[in-house]
Amino acid sequence: MTTPDDRRYTDQHEWALVQAAEGAVTVVRVGITDHAQDALGDIVFVQLPEVGAEVAPGNPIGEVESTKSVSDVYSPVAGVVSAVNEALTDAPETVNSDPYGAGWLVEVQVTGEDGDPTAALLDAAAYQAVVQSS
Amino acid sequence: MLAVSPLTSPLHDRHVAAGAKFADFGGWSMPIEYAGGGVLAEHTAVREGVGLFDVSHLGTATVRGPGAADFVNSCLTNDLGKIGPGQAQYTLCCVPDGDPQAGGVVDDLIVYLHGPDDVLLVPNAANAAEVLARLSAEAPVGVTVTDRHTEVAVLALQGPRSAEVLAAVGLPGELTYMSFAETPGSGGDEVTVCRTGYTGEHGYELLVAAERAGTLWDALLAAGGPEQIRPCGLGARDTLRTEMGYPLHGHELSRDITPNQARSGWAVGWGKDAFWGREALVAEKAAGAPRQLWGLQAPGRGIPRPGMLVLGADGSRIGEVTSGTFSPTLRTGIALALLDRSAGVAEGTEVAVDVRGRPQAVVVRRPPFVESHTKDPVPPTPRKLDAGP
Repeated sequence: MTTPDDRRYTDQHEWALVQAAEGAVTVVRVGITDHAQDALGDIVFVQLPEVGAEVAPGNPIGEVESTKSVSDVYSPVAGVVSAVNEALTDAPETVNSDPYGAGWLVEVQVTGEDGDPTAALLDAAAYQAVVQSS
Repeated sequence: MLAVSPLTSPLHDRHVAAGAKFADFGGWSMPIEYAGGGVLAEHTAVREGVGLFDVSHLGTATVRGPGAADFVNSCLTNDLGKIGPGQAQYTLCCVPDGDPQAGGVVDDLIVYLHGPDDVLLVPNAANAAEVLARLSAEAPVGVTVTDRHTEVAVLALQGPRSAEVLAAVGLPGELTYMSFAETPGSGGDEVTVCRTGYTGEHGYELLVAAERAGTLWDALLAAGGPEQIRPCGLGARDTLRTEMGYPLHGHELSRDITPNQARSGWAVGWGKDAFWGREALVAEKAAGAPRQLWGLQAPGRGIPRPGMLVLGADGSRIGEVTSGTFSPTLRTGIALALLDRSAGVAEGTEVAVDVRGRPQAVVVRRPPFVESHTKDPVPPTPRKLDAGP
């Protein structure tokens, strides 16, 4: 199970990666971790929010459903959904095969003067510790 | 008291080595899927080629002694008089009359009829102990019920190529549906091969002594050919059986769900004088079961799951989902559900399932969802396993 150190994580098994930052606006891409996709098994449906939806930490932004079970996905940051990965509608298995790349779920546009909105999340080592203790 | 740890199959180490994920099935830790496979790939292997399951969590028990078969026939629902030695039968162990749950299902099981004095039972893991206790308590003098659960491993070889793989390891595959054969019992090699299964495909279940199970498992995988046969977990077994509409005890059958309700009346010998729960079941059949098992197909996203409510056109509750999963063959959600007779549904009726607060449209179906191949003729065995058409 891989945990790339170019991004941040939540203890709910989402990842957050800063895509672009310009002035007070930062775009954060969100997906689920390798550990999460492995635990879910074959993913068959992905339900994503509408572009423009307001999201906040702790609020579900979508669902990832496998042959075995369904899991809510929570936003790691507060902001507005600026893109969703439409390719997952026809190829949900991409979340299994490439969870950190082509299997991304949404992009959230965060507005604020506080710098990197993902800075307070878990780093790769801290997330690995969460996985190992679960 | 000793700590209760799950039982494991004699093949457990092989499953660990194959990167299996495990789940508890009736107190047994069994593979749910394998590394490099997964439910979808394992399901497809069985529908299109061949897959090998370890189902050693299933119980095994012998009932032996003068009149053993007659005794079993007086307890379990199906009519053993319809089959002869060398044949197996699906049957039910129901709650006896006099109990408030009379006619409810303690377990569903396969009976192997060896002869009038020798019967083998294959119950479900979680219910094996109760079935055996009930039979032991009623057994006439001279008839002995013996639990062989941990002594016998059960493998299921399933799929259109199963006969070919069986032949390649020298086991008999030329059997009619629900017939079985024992290989010569030399040196502990005895294997009981039965043309049966839980997938809807042509297939076999193999009973073998626990200490011989590993050798047989390895031989079957080798005979199937690398990249062609897959070890399959109980996750795929569940998607396969749900596509066929086969009941799973604890879901479509239980002490609270009778065979009439689950459409398992075909496994009841209505002409027999005696079996556990007979009076209750005859009365319910005459009156009409208050609810019945149907299939549901979900054309949209979101899969109906067990326990979700089924809603009629006016939004009122008409039943409950008992099993639900993704159908790898149809690429949609499918479910089995007990629906109130008073709702008056039929094949094609549109109803809804409350999927986490969202009513999702589903269509009532009469399973199977996918065509059954269990009774297909045994295909001719190619001389070479890798011979193309």
